[in-house]
Amino acid sequence: MTQHALTRRTFLTTTVGGAALVAAPRVLRAQPKSFKIAAVHPVTGPLAEPGQACRLGAQLAVEAVNAAGGVKGKGGLQLELLTGDTQSKPENGRLESERLVNQGAQMLMGSFDSGSTAAMVSVAQQKRVPFLIDIAAADPITANVAKAVKDGQQKLQYVYRNFPTGSSFGRKAVQYFTEIFAEAKLTPKRVVLMYCNDLFGVNQSRGFLAAYKAAKPAWTLLEDDVIPWPEPPSDLSTEVSKLKALRPDVIAPITRPASAQLLLPEIRKQRVEYLGIVGPGSPGLYEAGQIAVLKDDLEYVMASNPWPNFRNPKTQRLAEDYQKRSNGRLFDTNSGYSYDAIFIIADVLERAAKLDDPDAIVEALQKTHYTGGLMQYGGPIHFNEVGDNPNAIPTMIQVLKSKPVAVWPKEAALQKFVFPRPKA
Amino acid sequence: MAEGSRPAEVRVPAPQGLTIDATLVAQGLLNGVLFGGVFSLMAVGLTLIFGVMRVVNFAHGDMMVWGMYLAWLMATRAGLDPYLGFVVCAAALFGLGFAVQRTLVQRIVDAPHEMQILLMLGVALVLENTALLVFGPEPQRVRSALAQSTVWLGPLFVDVARLIAFGVAALLAVLLWLFLFRTDLGRSIRAAADNAYGALVIGTDVRRVYAVAFGVGAACVGAAGALVSPLLPFQPPTGLQLSVASFNIVIIGGMGSLVGAFVGGVLVAVAESLGAVFLRPSLKELVSFSLLVLILLFRPAGIFGRRAP
Amino acid sequence: MTRVAVVAAVIVLVALPLAPSLFGSYAVTLFTLIFFYAFLGQAWNIVGGYAGQLSAGHAAFLGIGAYTAAVLSVEKGLTPWIGMFVGGALAALLGALVGFLGFRFGLRGFYFVLLTVAFAEICRIVASNTEAIGGAVGYYITFTGDPRQLQFQDARAYYYLALVLMLAVTALVGVLERGRFGVYLSAIREDESASEALGVDTFRYKMLAMVLSSFLTGIGGAFYAFYVFSLQPASVFGIPLSVEIIIRAIVGGAGTVLGPILGSFILSPLAELARYYFAQSGWHGAHLVVYGLLLIAVVLFLPEGAYPRLARLVRRRVAGAA
Repeated sequence: MTQHALTRRTFLTTTVGGAALVAAPRVLRAQPKSFKIAAVHPVTGPLAEPGQACRLGAQLAVEAVNAAGGVKGKGGLQLELLTGDTQSKPENGRLESERLVNQGAQMLMGSFDSGSTAAMVSVAQQKRVPFLIDIAAADPITANVAKAVKDGQQKLQYVYRNFPTGSSFGRKAVQYFTEIFAEAKLTPKRVVLMYCNDLFGVNQSRGFLAAYKAAKPAWTLLEDDVIPWPEPPSDLSTEVSKLKALRPDVIAPITRPASAQLLLPEIRKQRVEYLGIVGPGSPGLYEAGQIAVLKDDLEYVMASNPWPNFRNPKTQRLAEDYQKRSNGRLFDTNSGYSYDAIFIIADVLERAAKLDDPDAIVEALQKTHYTGGLMQYGGPIHFNEVGDNPNAIPTMIQVLKSKPVAVWPKEAALQKFVFPRPKA
Repeated sequence: MAEGSRPAEVRVPAPQGLTIDATLVAQGLLNGVLFGGVFSLMAVGLTLIFGVMRVVNFAHGDMMVWGMYLAWLMATRAGLDPYLGFVVCAAALFGLGFAVQRTLVQRIVDAPHEMQILLMLGVALVLENTALLVFGPEPQRVRSALAQSTVWLGPLFVDVARLIAFGVAALLAVLLWLFLFRTDLGRSIRAAADNAYGALVIGTDVRRVYAVAFGVGAACVGAAGALVSPLLPFQPPTGLQLSVASFNIVIIGGMGSLVGAFVGGVLVAVAESLGAVFLRPSLKELVSFSLLVLILLFRPAGIFGRRAP
Repeated sequence: MTRVAVVAAVIVLVALPLAPSLFGSYAVTLFTLIFFYAFLGQAWNIVGGYAGQLSAGHAAFLGIGAYTAAVLSVEKGLTPWIGMFVGGALAALLGALVGFLGFRFGLRGFYFVLLTVAFAEICRIVASNTEAIGGAVGYYITFTGDPRQLQFQDARAYYYLALVLMLAVTALVGVLERGRFGVYLSAIREDESASEALGVDTFRYKMLAMVLSSFLTGIGGAFYAFYVFSLQPASVFGIPLSVEIIIRAIVGGAGTVLGPILGSFILSPLAELARYYFAQSGWHGAHLVVYGLLLIAVVLFLPEGAYPRLARLVRRRVAGAA
């Protein structure tokens, strides 16, 4: 964990500043010395792990942008990151964004869980603050805003998202499954979907099932025999017993870190026989902490996740830097998308006509065509009519020799995938 | 299902399409019984604390999570297997429980119920977030050599780790029973539980007795945490789900009854496990909550409880 | 006490309504949440404070009110201004059920607490598994800023709405407290068996308190839905939300008219300050440790709640000055 020392200056500024700030009216939008970005993430509460990763990713990005000279087109304007904590409570999404906007933030970023993100949307639209969602997968978040603008109930869309939506996750996952099975010259007939019954798991599974129905691939998913479990679970032994009774050839789990730690050893202990574990996309199947706890149980496990493009040397350098700053954690989805979001914002600021007019920033945001992202994209970063980036796509990664590595599609792969898994 | 929209029909939970045969049901039953032993251990500590002091310990699950983190520390730093190290966890949490009781809980023994609740909620918040500060947010699990093996009875499998936890839980319950029924201190605790005023009258140092009871309850929770740490991934927010599960078990089994905590644990785990067999597993907690409601209505003292509310 | 009453009246009738024009929108949002949680705490106060029936599952009522108003608005186009009362009514129905089961079967104290928790958890699990209202992904409301849909482009409207809710429910409780209803509830809280023996229909009054409390909480749920624009079963029916509702009333003084308000005015700003203080540091969770210590401190040093202690202090000052 990064721990910034509480210096006396911090103490004084926060206590005195804090008292004054609550009562202070909105800061006038004069020409600022730095451009303030509010990064709101759940750094405490049940989503603390990804939330803290997001915040650190954003902090590293701001440092990088500033070190390279800031926003050059605007006189070397430096970026300043103001951070907020939602504790995964939606009303805090509102409160923290309001607080940070009051402190001068001109753009919002966040916030991982869809509930807090949806709450921040209302602040963005009400106060006309451009909001770039770095991570949140529920489709309606941007779709609703787009619809309101189309129906004339809102003048302009201030909310944009640089992350795959639940439906795009599903489409890509089905596509990768089909391609990988075809490449391995196998047609699994009993793919069993198992997922955690929380916001993320249900969103992912819906997207996956819908895409499967639409694509009608050669392989067969047992649609009527999906196995959802309550998240977080204390025990998954019966769920795995059910899985075993279904005689799966491929297991498709959507997990969270805690449930993955229960699921994978259970699959081994109950001696479920299968060709491979291929996840449609979820946390818990690739993180450094997970590999440390699960060791061999994670070997050969695949998951279709948004992933950094490690072919880019910049990414590798950043990954090393991140590992140092985070006490050993891997640079991955969460930190990566927050990192890229800051760079997208910097690019937007370069191109925006005026920085003190949110509508000008939104105009620049809509015209984004950015190729400098460190994550694996399907093309340049841009935003469609709903506000999402259709080129934000997942990559199929596999844990090989205790390291997660991109294995599909071929243009992103660093190694060849291993499927079916070798017999022990 | 169209993208991004909600289907119009309400999907009623229905049994899965797979054939639910005898093997699956038997395995579900077995899973439940074994996991129940683990659950029971959590509940034993709570039943002692509540049975004696009538204090609703909302920090119960968080205390157990600290037991788990301590076991993890010992396993990673000192290489001590949790099946041995649980003694240390028990001792450490005895100290914590004793201290919490003496400094905080003792002062609100006669306070209105809502103040007791508020106090333990505050303690829970402090425990959970101190764990977050110290250990970080990732889920952890302790690796134990014993926790890796399984034993097979025909088509049914038995998780050795759970079997051991079940055994140790039973052993601890027996030891606790001996303590409460065969030692002077234990008898004082039971006396204070039954009739605090009467205990005072005969000269019992009730405050010390309460502190010891709380400490012993916390020690059980610490031991439970250590024994469960190879079985259940834990992170700071895990405390809440453990507290809720513990309360369920204690009510169903009977407040203040050791046997009740044990049987209650097995019953709740079996109910959830069979719920997972016959329903969508994501609904399995519904079974245990429904059971809780039924017990509250028709036998609030619990299956083995003696005292009605 | 007249001096105090005058000060209070000035605050309520002049300062609070003027505040939004003087303060920035952050303060407006903070106050909106203070008023909102004070409203919820006051609604809880009726059954939890006055009647002494501690419920730790009030999120169930909030959730039902929230989902009802939201679903009726999105699916049927029913304006939430009416939808909130439908939501309140459904919440009251659940309240009646829980109350009936609890009181008819003689559950008191801890056992009643657990019954309410069980019902809230059951609601949460059922909602998480019901596709029609979004399941675990949740229900999303489009932001239109249309007042007919209980949405406002200007956040200050929420402030006033929350202020009105808080004042209305406080006035209601104030009136009830002085009437027969309040007297009976206090008697039941102090000694239920004795009240029974004296002929008070304890079941009836407890039920009335429960139904009223859940109805009001359901209305609060509708406000919540159209303030945060999405509902997830885990947050809206969850135990942490139930806890947020009750701690303000308890800290301020359960069973007093001004308790929930005072509690909200103490806790919300302090929580915000703690979060702000630790925001830029890497010490994630420190602000919640502080919050927890604060709750412990309140219990140890203000065992009746903030308001009774404050009232005593004021009385002593006034008496001393007289």
